[in-house]
Amino acid sequence: MTSPVWIRGLNYAYGEGELRRPVLRDVALEIHAGEIVLLTGPSGSGKTTLLTLVGALRAMQEGECQVLGQQLAGATEDQRVLLRRRIGFIFQQHNLLGFLTAQQNVAMSLELDPATTERERLERAGAMLAAVGLGDRLDATPARLSGGQRQRVAVARALAGNPGLILADEPTAALDRVSGQEVVHLLRDLARSRGVPILLVTHDPRILDIADRIIEMEDGRILPGSPLD
Amino acid sequence: MNEMQRLVLPAALPANRPPRLANAWLAARLAWRQLRAERARLWTAIAGVMFACVLVFMQLGFRSALFDSATALPQAMHGELFLVNPMTTAMFKPEQFPRVRAFQTLADPDVAQAVPIYLSFATWRNPETGVRRTIELIGFDTETGAVAFPGLDNVIEALKRPDTIAFDRKSRPEFGNVPRLLAEGGPFEVQIADRRLQLVGLIEIGPSFGADGNAVMSETNFRRIISQRRASNTDLVALRLRSGADIPAVQARLRQLLPRDVAVVTYPELVAWERNYWENATPIGFIFMFGSLMGLVVGMVIVYQILFSDIASHIPEYATLKAMGYAHSYLRRAVMAAALLLAVLGFIPGILTSVGLYHVVAQATFLPLEMDLHRGVTVFGMIFAMCAGAGLLAVRKLRDANPADMF
Repeated sequence: MTSPVWIRGLNYAYGEGELRRPVLRDVALEIHAGEIVLLTGPSGSGKTTLLTLVGALRAMQEGECQVLGQQLAGATEDQRVLLRRRIGFIFQQHNLLGFLTAQQNVAMSLELDPATTERERLERAGAMLAAVGLGDRLDATPARLSGGQRQRVAVARALAGNPGLILADEPTAALDRVSGQEVVHLLRDLARSRGVPILLVTHDPRILDIADRIIEMEDGRILPGSPLD
Repeated sequence: MNEMQRLVLPAALPANRPPRLANAWLAARLAWRQLRAERARLWTAIAGVMFACVLVFMQLGFRSALFDSATALPQAMHGELFLVNPMTTAMFKPEQFPRVRAFQTLADPDVAQAVPIYLSFATWRNPETGVRRTIELIGFDTETGAVAFPGLDNVIEALKRPDTIAFDRKSRPEFGNVPRLLAEGGPFEVQIADRRLQLVGLIEIGPSFGADGNAVMSETNFRRIISQRRASNTDLVALRLRSGADIPAVQARLRQLLPRDVAVVTYPELVAWERNYWENATPIGFIFMFGSLMGLVVGMVIVYQILFSDIASHIPEYATLKAMGYAHSYLRRAVMAAALLLAVLGFIPGILTSVGLYHVVAQATFLPLEMDLHRGVTVFGMIFAMCAGAGLLAVRKLRDANPADMF
């Protein structure tokens, strides 16, 4: 029960009435501290929906899902917003704000903490960018960075708030082989050094090597044989 | 990785909400950074707000100039109480009443002086071109001090002579450049109605929507020009009370004393009487309000468009912010901050341009157009409300930023 992610009997469906289409059926999953779990499977298998539910981006329908100690079944929008602040997200697209510098973009994830001052935030953001190897590009706007560099800024942003869990969706899909490898290895090293678990959805066979555990999904179910905890 | 070890970060972000003020400041800063990034869009928005601002300032300026100029004549009156025919709608078309009413008021111990004032229109012949135009004539006993037109003191003696007048230097230029003629050759002869008179000096009243020009003369000279009128009738009576008199009490006593063919009004009531005619009995007040409203609507549409497209082009980024734990209300605050920033950024050049335009228009039309604090604050309030309205319309677009769609 103290695992960062603990799921039992999770069902989820889109649509209403006759158009109701189940996407998750009786999913059970547990992720332990410091673990890196890869979620694979054909598109439409429900893995992205599972990720949005764990990330508190969607309201639950049925089942139990505890993330970082917060029960998401019946959680209010406010509770979900607060939980999201403790989760680091990395998307397929970097989604950095084009009008902010790399440093300001990373600092955005720290502005939610009222205890920090502007100077602390920028310092932490700068240190975080140095950790992903972009210490010399603090003032560059996303338009002046390469794809791999932008995704590394996104990694720095996801990690800057010291999250208890990292959720990533196809973080390498928009990158070439070399920068894709770089980004996931960086992600793995940073997460490992802090004991932060990662749940990563991917199709990319080139990055399967970073996983502690690989879970396959199909038709809304976790395939038998996938290790559940 | 050594660098990583030196990073000392809290285990988890505190779960309490950031204080509202700091939150609002950060949202406003985000809004400003976003506005600043798109220069062309920012300038368009500022131009839109500025346009609305100038339009509203001009409309309100004209409206107020109209009312100011329309009430220039009653405003120049020096008196505590006035007698007016109750059927008079505006000073430029007064109803007459018996002059004897003026003398009746002297029965009250607090009334020190009762000064009949005669108003009429006659044709004036332009001394330069000979073209005729209608001018308003104002006749009264110039020595009583019941009327305080600037410059009157210098011509009081001269106006005592038969067939003399003083001319309003602010009359429209179609009356001829009298000040220049006077400066060049001294007093000269002019024609009003069929009479030749000596123009002996200048006073200042200003044109109104009712009268383009004014001439002032003594009671006797007025009667010489307007000879067909009954001398026992007057148009307005200014009463001067003994110092320390209780004005409302005297007003009440005079109402008792006088027949119902005259109304007894105070100075503010007299000015309001005139103003009321222009505001309510003519569509002029409404027209200017409508013009202001149109300006605000156009400005609102422009600001809305700018805010809307700013949101629309940043939907994925906004959704990402929501995924990071930013509440919907934070983004709403950022949009509202952008709207209010635009209000301020557009208002500043707007008011500066309006001050310049006031100057230009005042010179061209001789209408008293002036910027004052009250109008500045009022228009800023309107522009602020306009931008806030546009912001409220635009924030609905934020609903499209759904973090669940990001994966």
